[in-house]
Amino acid sequence: MNIASRKHSQYAVVVVFGIVALTPFLLLGISSIAANWRFPSVLPSEFTLRAWSYLGSSASGVLPSVGNSVGIAFIVTILAVLISLPAARVLALNRFRGKRVIMFLLILPILSPSFAVASGSHALSLRYGLADSLAGVIASHLVPTIPYCVLLLIGSFTRLDTDFEDQARSLGASPLAVFRHVTFPAIAPGMAIAAAFAFLISWSQYLTTLFVGGGKIQTLPLTLVSFQRSSDDAVTAALTLTFALPAVIIFMVVAGFFKNES
Amino acid sequence: MKADKYFILILTCLFLLACNRADETPFTKSDLEKANWPEIEQKARNTTVNFAMWAGDENRNRFFRTEVAEELKKRYGVTLNVVALGDTAEAINKLLTEKQAGKTTAGSIDMVWINGENFRTAKKGDLLWGSFSERLPSFALYDDDAGKTDFGTPVEGLEAPWQRSQFVFAYDRERLKDPPRSTEQLKEWIRANPGKFAYPAPPDFTGSAFLRHVLFHFGGGSNKFEKFDEQLYLSASSKTFAFLNEIKPYLWRRGENYPNSPSELNRLFANREIDLTFAYGAAFASEAIKRGEFPASVRTFVLEDGTIKNYSFLTIPFNASNPAGAMVITNYFMSHEFQLRQSVVLGSIYPHDLSKLSDAQRASVTNLPRAEATLAADELEAHAVPEADSAYLERLEKDWRSQVLLQ
Repeated sequence: MNIASRKHSQYAVVVVFGIVALTPFLLLGISSIAANWRFPSVLPSEFTLRAWSYLGSSASGVLPSVGNSVGIAFIVTILAVLISLPAARVLALNRFRGKRVIMFLLILPILSPSFAVASGSHALSLRYGLADSLAGVIASHLVPTIPYCVLLLIGSFTRLDTDFEDQARSLGASPLAVFRHVTFPAIAPGMAIAAAFAFLISWSQYLTTLFVGGGKIQTLPLTLVSFQRSSDDAVTAALTLTFALPAVIIFMVVAGFFKNES
Repeated sequence: MKADKYFILILTCLFLLACNRADETPFTKSDLEKANWPEIEQKARNTTVNFAMWAGDENRNRFFRTEVAEELKKRYGVTLNVVALGDTAEAINKLLTEKQAGKTTAGSIDMVWINGENFRTAKKGDLLWGSFSERLPSFALYDDDAGKTDFGTPVEGLEAPWQRSQFVFAYDRERLKDPPRSTEQLKEWIRANPGKFAYPAPPDFTGSAFLRHVLFHFGGGSNKFEKFDEQLYLSASSKTFAFLNEIKPYLWRRGENYPNSPSELNRLFANREIDLTFAYGAAFASEAIKRGEFPASVRTFVLEDGTIKNYSFLTIPFNASNPAGAMVITNYFMSHEFQLRQSVVLGSIYPHDLSKLSDAQRASVTNLPRAEATLAADELEAHAVPEADSAYLERLEKDWRSQVLLQ
């Protein structure tokens, strides 16, 4: 096989994958503006912006809930990465008794059914007076995000050669300078992935937000789920696209980050 | 830099939230006994009521969040905050956890739209504030039976009747000239039109309601099912399951798959896979036509034996922060004025006993505009039968699995 035809087949694969990945979004896009779309017509007979104008109106509460979702996910991401960094470092570089037990406890929240985690978070938030508050929702989102962040960062720290840190230190670098110039560049790709994960996990939390936020903290998943069970396809499609948007943006940002790295 | 600013902003907000704990003087049952209605209205002034309601309907959300909220602010100085639920059971689960954790005051929900099994769970779990509905002035507008039982569970004033709903069937006049109007005719029609009928698999609410119509038919009428009776259940349910097994090979996909929800059923109907659909809501077809989901030639009908009607209710949780505000809003929601407006905006059935209205009020109800696919209120009422004890529901849903699904 010559190079040109190999290139062609590579393109073909990319195109097929692209179509497979984009078709659901395309269908959602059409659904969100379709007025009369029934079998056997291939395309809707009428189009309307009803669903999108509803999403933009104050009656839907979508805009404030997007704001809440972004704000909460942003804070959760920062906190989760900050909390996970030291934990991941110790777990990756040190050997000690009970390490396996700690690892197990750490990933327990993502192994348990989400209903149990949500109920437990709610009970705890009630005990500590965090129920129905933004702080409580943020704290409860940390429960499923930290395990992922730690696991991802352990990978980065395992590949970190601590001798470089020691060399920097022996040359008189301050701890902060060591982190900035040696540790951070080494683990930055892992941190980016961990942050992306944390953001998306927080972004998609439903039950915990509902329980701990008590409906007072309205996020996008809450609005979306209440429509999923109705038969209003247009609004559900528009909400689903809004919900999927950050995942696409984050994927592109992270992908761009790696392109620059390599 | 921008991130820092955002972080500081959020921290400030958190701090303000923490400081802004309102002083709590809860309104108790003894306060309610002492107070007269104007005093309760006074107590509710300048408060916020958190109203948990199913929020899967664009028109309803818009109506409550804009027009209704503005009216309540103007009339009573009460701020209405709609807490959007995907399913009322979520609110009940939350209250159960709060009960277990001992959070008996300052709860986050003041008012819940509820009925049936959720009410039974809430009552059994002692999750409700107490008896209040008979104190509301608007209560007198409802039929005497409306506030007595909810799916066989005695209400005892714990919730106030709000909306009336009735099960109706829908068909497309362009596809079907003469829809079947009794259980026996339905059987013949299904056999003659294989693959054109389906019902959602119980325990789906709508599928389960369809089963009860068949149960009532074989049990000699719905009024026999007000209290659970084992003998009646056994004889009527065996005939019901025989009926369902008889039609099974003629169902959509030969009864090997069932739709999971009313929205799936309606989608099959809209896509012409099936020729009949149904829902627990007399205006459902008109709403679907308005959204462009059903063609304009769709009409609804009720069975000659009658179809089930029920009421949905408004209740106050045990740990509500603002019971007085919830009562004021509940009373307004039950009023003639509100119900009339709601019928216009959402197409809901007007729920009051017409004989209890003034002449002018009655005239305004008769003159209500009505979408073509919604039946007239008197025709609905003439074919309305009451709900069964919810013990029948549970048995029927459970036995359906073994007797029909797995047969």
